[in-house]
Amino acid sequence: MTDLTFLSQFADAAFFWGSFIFMVACSVAGLACIRLSLKGEAVTSLMGISCFTTVAGVSLYLISLPELFNVGFARDTAIALLVIGALGTIIFARFFRSGD
Amino acid sequence: MIQELFVLIYAALIMGYVAWNIRKGSFVIDPSKLVLVLFGIFLVSVAGLMLLGSGLSEAASIIMKIGAAGVMFAGVIPMVAASVGLMRFGEEYGPNIFYARNHITGVVDTTASLVMIFAGILIYRLDLVAVGFFFFMFIPFVGNALANAYYYNFQRRLEK
Repeated sequence: MTDLTFLSQFADAAFFWGSFIFMVACSVAGLACIRLSLKGEAVTSLMGISCFTTVAGVSLYLISLPELFNVGFARDTAIALLVIGALGTIIFARFFRSGD
Repeated sequence: MIQELFVLIYAALIMGYVAWNIRKGSFVIDPSKLVLVLFGIFLVSVAGLMLLGSGLSEAASIIMKIGAAGVMFAGVIPMVAASVGLMRFGEEYGPNIFYARNHITGVVDTTASLVMIFAGILIYRLDLVAVGFFFFMFIPFVGNALANAYYYNFQRRLEK
């Protein structure tokens, strides 16, 4: 039974650190996306913001998991960011394409 | 403390394997074989835990949680590599660098959505899987719309 306790603790620790390091990697990608969106022209900025909504949404979704930090309201924000971010990017790209 | 040490070894093994794949430019082990091998390891581990006196659901959840952690660790290297690429490819490479950047942001999107899908499956969170899958379906449309917008914008600027 001691082995099972150890494995269970290892699984919890591995999941926590895995999610945490992935969130840190997402933050690094988010910084790169912000840099891209601040430096480039209109479409490049749109691409940077689209990428930023992705990494922010995924990080927020991971924060909302009960196995990690259990921040419930982050889940709704994450869903809104991921879904509306992608849809908004497509719509704005259509605007930029037509040049209106 | 000893668990964290094992986590460090586990993370180093997985990240090293992913980095080896990226360095090689193709899969070191074919994914169709790798999935079967991983599934076999999962079955053997669950059977071993059941022999040690654990219930089926408890054993499966422990092993699947370790697998979910592995998926997260595997997502770190492509994410960091993509952010280095986004930082590195500046305007000095000409106007067509947009398409390279578009590809890099596609890598970020794909990594994020695949981590959501597989980690969600492994920790029994179907909402995470659903949002990840929904987002995964949007990725090609987003990339295509951005590339299309840039192309027509660039053509208009050339005409002026």
